[in-house]
Amino acid sequence: MIVEKLKNAVIDWAINRSRIVVALMVMVVIVAGAFLSKVVMDTDPENMLMKTEPARVFHNETKKAFELSEIVVLGVVNEKDPQGVFTVETLGRIHELTEFAKTLKWRNPDDPSGMEGVIEADMVAPSLMDHMSQAGPGTISFEWLMPEPPKTREEALSVRDKALSNPLLVGQMVSEEAKALCIYLPLTDKLLSYKVYTALQEKIAGLEGDEEWHITGLPVAEGAIGVEMFTQMGLGSVLSMAVIFALLFFFFRTVHMIVLPILIATVSIIVTMGAMIAAGYPVHILSSMLPIFLMSVSMVDTVHILSEFFDVYDRRRDRKENIRKVMSTLFTPMLYTSLTTAAGFCSLVFAPIPPAQVFGLFLSIGVLVSWLVTILFVPAYIMLIPDKRLESFGLQVREVEKRSLLTRVLRRMGFISWKHSKFVLVLFAGLVLLGVWGIGQIRVNDNYAKRFVESHPIHEADVALNRHFGGTYMANLILEGDVSPEAIAERKHAMEERMMARLNDLGVRFGIGQRVTGEIAQEIRSIAASSDSEHGMLASIIDAFDRRFQEPLLDEESDFLQALIDSAYRLEEELSVFKRPDVLQYVAKLQNYLESGDLIGKSSSVADVVKKVNQELTGGEPENFVIPESLQGVAECYMQYQQGHRPHDLWHMVTPDFQRTNVTLQFRTGDSRGTKACVEAVERFFAENEPPVPLQYNWAGLHYINLVLEERIVEGFLQSFASSFIIVFLIMSFLFRSPLWGAVCMVPLSITLLMIYGMTGLIGKDYDLPVAVLSSLSLGMAVDFAIHFLSRSQSLYDEKKSWRSILPELFGEPARAISRNVLVIAVGFLPLVVAPLVPYQTTGVMLFGILTISGIVTLLLLPAMLRLFENTFFKKEEGK
Amino acid sequence: MRRIAKMVVMVAALVSAGLSVAKAEEPSVREIVDHSNYVSLYQGDDSKGKLQFIITDRQGRTRKRVLNILRKDTGVDGGDQKYFTCFVAPSDVRNMTFMVYKHADIGHDDDRWLYMPGLDLVKRIAASDKRTSFVGSDFLYEDISGRSPEEDDHELVETTDTFHVIKNTPKKGGVEFDYYLASIDKKTGIAMKLEYYKKNDVLYRDIVVKEVQNVPAGDKMYPTVTRSAARDYEKGSSTEMIFSGIVYDTGIRDNVFTERYLRKPSRDVLR
Repeated sequence: MIVEKLKNAVIDWAINRSRIVVALMVMVVIVAGAFLSKVVMDTDPENMLMKTEPARVFHNETKKAFELSEIVVLGVVNEKDPQGVFTVETLGRIHELTEFAKTLKWRNPDDPSGMEGVIEADMVAPSLMDHMSQAGPGTISFEWLMPEPPKTREEALSVRDKALSNPLLVGQMVSEEAKALCIYLPLTDKLLSYKVYTALQEKIAGLEGDEEWHITGLPVAEGAIGVEMFTQMGLGSVLSMAVIFALLFFFFRTVHMIVLPILIATVSIIVTMGAMIAAGYPVHILSSMLPIFLMSVSMVDTVHILSEFFDVYDRRRDRKENIRKVMSTLFTPMLYTSLTTAAGFCSLVFAPIPPAQVFGLFLSIGVLVSWLVTILFVPAYIMLIPDKRLESFGLQVREVEKRSLLTRVLRRMGFISWKHSKFVLVLFAGLVLLGVWGIGQIRVNDNYAKRFVESHPIHEADVALNRHFGGTYMANLILEGDVSPEAIAERKHAMEERMMARLNDLGVRFGIGQRVTGEIAQEIRSIAASSDSEHGMLASIIDAFDRRFQEPLLDEESDFLQALIDSAYRLEEELSVFKRPDVLQYVAKLQNYLESGDLIGKSSSVADVVKKVNQELTGGEPENFVIPESLQGVAECYMQYQQGHRPHDLWHMVTPDFQRTNVTLQFRTGDSRGTKACVEAVERFFAENEPPVPLQYNWAGLHYINLVLEERIVEGFLQSFASSFIIVFLIMSFLFRSPLWGAVCMVPLSITLLMIYGMTGLIGKDYDLPVAVLSSLSLGMAVDFAIHFLSRSQSLYDEKKSWRSILPELFGEPARAISRNVLVIAVGFLPLVVAPLVPYQTTGVMLFGILTISGIVTLLLLPAMLRLFENTFFKKEEGK
Repeated sequence: MRRIAKMVVMVAALVSAGLSVAKAEEPSVREIVDHSNYVSLYQGDDSKGKLQFIITDRQGRTRKRVLNILRKDTGVDGGDQKYFTCFVAPSDVRNMTFMVYKHADIGHDDDRWLYMPGLDLVKRIAASDKRTSFVGSDFLYEDISGRSPEEDDHELVETTDTFHVIKNTPKKGGVEFDYYLASIDKKTGIAMKLEYYKKNDVLYRDIVVKEVQNVPAGDKMYPTVTRSAARDYEKGSSTEMIFSGIVYDTGIRDNVFTERYLRKPSRDVLR
C-alpha cells in the first residue's frame, strides 16, 4: 500500500538523517520567523464583511454623502452634586477636556498636508454648540451655549437651562436630569479611536474632582478589542504554554521529552503565521486566535506520540526500533486526524467572511505543517537525545503509572461501558435531547461592550452612559425620494412639459413676441434632451435664463424673465423632498413610532431641527414646536439654522439637494437583536403608513453593520460547518472503508456540539462571533479522539476477535493517550478564563467543554455502542 | 463733532494714501488698517449690488445663494452704517430680508432685524456673536459687515513690494481665532488675503481676493472687490463670493431701511 510505503520511507529518513531534519527545521523557522516582524494588524471589524457586501457599500456611501464620522463619546457623570454636572468645577473641567480634545490631531502620514484625528468642526461639547432662544418679545438671540466656562453657580445653572431647552441636545449631549454630559469626538478614521482613547484617559487621570469620567462609543470598543486582543494573545499563549508544560511534566516526567509538544506547537505557529504574513495578509482579530487554535491542535498529535512512546518505550530495545513501532502505530490515525482537522478548517474558506477565509485557510495549512513537523521532527529529535536523559522515561515510571488514578478511572470507565452499556446509551440519548432543546433556546446576539468583562472601563462606561442617555450606539436610517432611473425620467419629462406650459402662459401675459418665446422654447427642449436628471435640467435652465437676464432688457422682458426664473425655481423646490412639510411630518411620525416603544433611546432628524428653529422664531412656546405649514417656512428655518456657528451640521442630516435624509437612531445597548427589532419596526411602519411621496429607506451606521456582520457570521459558519461535517464524514468512511464506521466516528463530534451549543442556549449566553468560530475547532478535536480510539479498536479486534477481550487493552494505553490529551489541553487553556476579554474566556471555557465532553463520549459512549452492536460493526472484519 | 471726526478720518486716509504713493515715509500701522477698513466698507456714501455665494463642500457639491445688498453710511467714514439685504435665490427663501444698523462704537451692539415671508414674521436679533455663518456660507457675518479695527491690536509683521502684512490679535477673547494676518495691497488698501490662525499657528481659514474692479462713481473710481473666496480648512469647504451690478452714490433713501420695507422691499432692492 502506498500509505504504508510512504510511512516507512518517511520514518526511516527521519531516523537516519536526524541531524538534517533538525537543521532543516531550524532554517524554516528562521525564514518564517523573519516575516513575523513585517506583521500588519487589521483591527477593523468592518473588514469581516466583503468589500462588495451591499450593506457595507451603502454604509460607506452614506458616510460620504452625509460626511459622517465614527464617534468617540466622552461622558461625565456627577450623581453627588444636586446640580449634577452643571457646577462651576465640572463645567470647567469639561471645557478643559474639550480644549484638550481639539488638540488630538496629527499630521496624516498618507497625506502630509492633511490632519487626522478629532474633527474639531464636528465636535459636540457645551462650548461648541449654538444656542437659539427668546431674548424679549419679538427678539431672538443666537449665541454660543457656553461661550466660556462659568464662574458662578448661577452661570453654571444657566448653561444647564440652555442645554435642556434644546430637544436636540437632551439625551444626546446632556442627560434629562442634568446628572451627566457627553462630549462627542468624531474621528477622521475610526482606527484612531484607541489613540484618542488612551490620550483622553491619561488626561482624565490628571484631573481632580469626584465626578466619574467614561469613554465609550463603538469605535472605541472595537478598537480596544482589537488592540487588547493582540496583547491578550501573547499573554494567553504564554500562560497556557506554562500550564501545559507543567501538566506534561506531571504525566511524562522527562523535560527532554515534554519540550517536544511545545517545540512542535511553536514551530507550527511560527511557520504558519510567517507564511500568512509573507503572503501579504494582515493579522485580523480572528487570525489572532490562530496561535491558540494551532497550539491545541498540534499538541494533540504530539501528546498521542508521547503517550504511546511513554507506554511502549523499552530501554532494552534499540531506540530506532522503539521509534519505528510507535510511529507506525500512529502514522495512519495521525494522518487522518490531521486531514480531517485541516478539511474542517478549510471549509471556512467558503464562508462569505474574508478574515474567516484567511483564518480557515492558514489554520488548515498550519495543521498540515504541524503534522509534517510531528512525523519528521519527533523521530529525529528522539534519536538525538542522549541515553542518559531517557533513563527516567518510560519503564520505571510506567510501573507507577499502572497504579495511577488515571489508569484506575479509565479501567472503571471501560467496565461501565461494558456493564451498563444500555444505560450509557440512554443517558447520552437523554443528553442529546436536552442539547437539542437547548439549541432551540439559543439567542443569536452580539454586543461589543459585552466582549469586555464587567469591570473593564469600557464595559463600565457603556453601562453608566447608557443609563443616562438616549444611547451611545448609533445607526442611521436613510430616507430617500424615489431615485430609480424610471422615476427620474418621469419627473424630468413632467417638469419639462410644465416649464413649456409656463413659458406660453407668461409669454402671453407679458406680451412677449413669438420670436423670443420660440427661441427660449428651443433652448428648454435642447437642455432637457442633454440632461440626465431633472435636477441638472432645471439648474441648466435657470443658468440659461440668468444669462439672458444679464443682457440689456426692456422692463416687461425683465419681468417676464424674472417670472420664468421663478417658475423654474418653484419646480426645483418640488424636488426638495425634505423641505416638504408633509414629508417632515411623516419623518417625525416615524421617529415617534420608534421612540414610543422600548426600541431606541432617542432619534434625531431634520424634522427636529426645523421644529426647534420654528419654535424659537415664532415665540418659543411649547406649542410652537411644530413643523411650519409651508415649504417656504421650512426653507426659512433651514436658512436660519445655517446662519449659526455650525452651518455644516445640517448636511449631516440631509443632503444639499434635500433629496435624502439621515435619521440618527441612538440605542441604549449594543445588542444586535435590539437593532434587529428596530429594523423590523421600521418595515412595519412603512407597510402601515404610506408616505406622502414615494420614499425608499435603507440602513447605515456601525451599529447596523454589526447586525449584518452577525447575520453573515452565523450563516457563514453554519454553512461551512455543514460542509466540513460532510467532508469529514466522507474521509472517515474512506479511512474505515465503511460508511457505518464513518458515522460512528462522527458521534463524539455531534454529541459534543449538541451539548456545547445546548448549554450555550440553556445558560442564556448569546451566540456571537467568538462562539461561532469555536464550532469549527470542536470538529477537529472530537474527530481526533474518535479516530484514534476506533482505529485502535479495529486493529486490536483484528487480533483478538472479541470486544470483551480487547477492552482491557483498549482502556490501557490508547485511552490513556486520549485522556492525557483531554487533560493537557482542557486544563492548559483554562488560564484564558482570567483574561479581561470575554471572547478569550469563552475560548478557554469552550475548549475545556469540547475536550472533556468529546473525551467522555469517546471513552464511554463509543465502547458501549460497539459492545451492544458488536456483530454489526465487526461482522465484515470477520468475513475477511 | 461728527463732521470733524469724519474730516479727520478722511484726511488721515488721504494722507496715508498719498504717503504710500510717495513712498517717502511709511504710514503707521493704524493708518494702514484704518485705510483698508475705509476701502472695503466705506467708499461712497452708499452702494448697492448683487452678492452671489457659491458654496462648495468637501465633496465638490455646490449650492448657490443670491442676495441683493444695499448700504448707506449714516456717520463718518469708519462710523455707523445701515445695511439691507434681500434673498433672490434659492427661491424658497426669496424675499427673506435682513437689515442691520451697524454701530462702529464697539461698546454699542448692532441692531439687526430679520423678515421671513414664509413664516410671515419680523424678528429682531439680539446682540450676539458676529462670527456666525453668513447665509450658510464660509463667510461670516463679520466678514460682510466688517470687523472694527478697535477690536484688535495691530502689528506690521512684514512689508513686501506690494503688501503690508498686518498681524491682528483680538484684544478680548470669545472669538475662535488666535490672530489673523491681513495682506494689504499698498496701492489700493484692499486686504487681498486674510489668514486666520488658531492656537499654535494652525491656519484654519482664509479669505483670498481674486478680482478687484475699479467702479466709477461720478468723477471718482472706487476699487472694489468683485470676486473673493473663503476657505475653511477644518470643514473642507469653500465659498466664492461674487459681487456684481455695483453702483455707488445713487442716493438711497433712508426709509428703505425700515421695518415696512423689510416686509415689502422696494423694487430697486429686488432688481
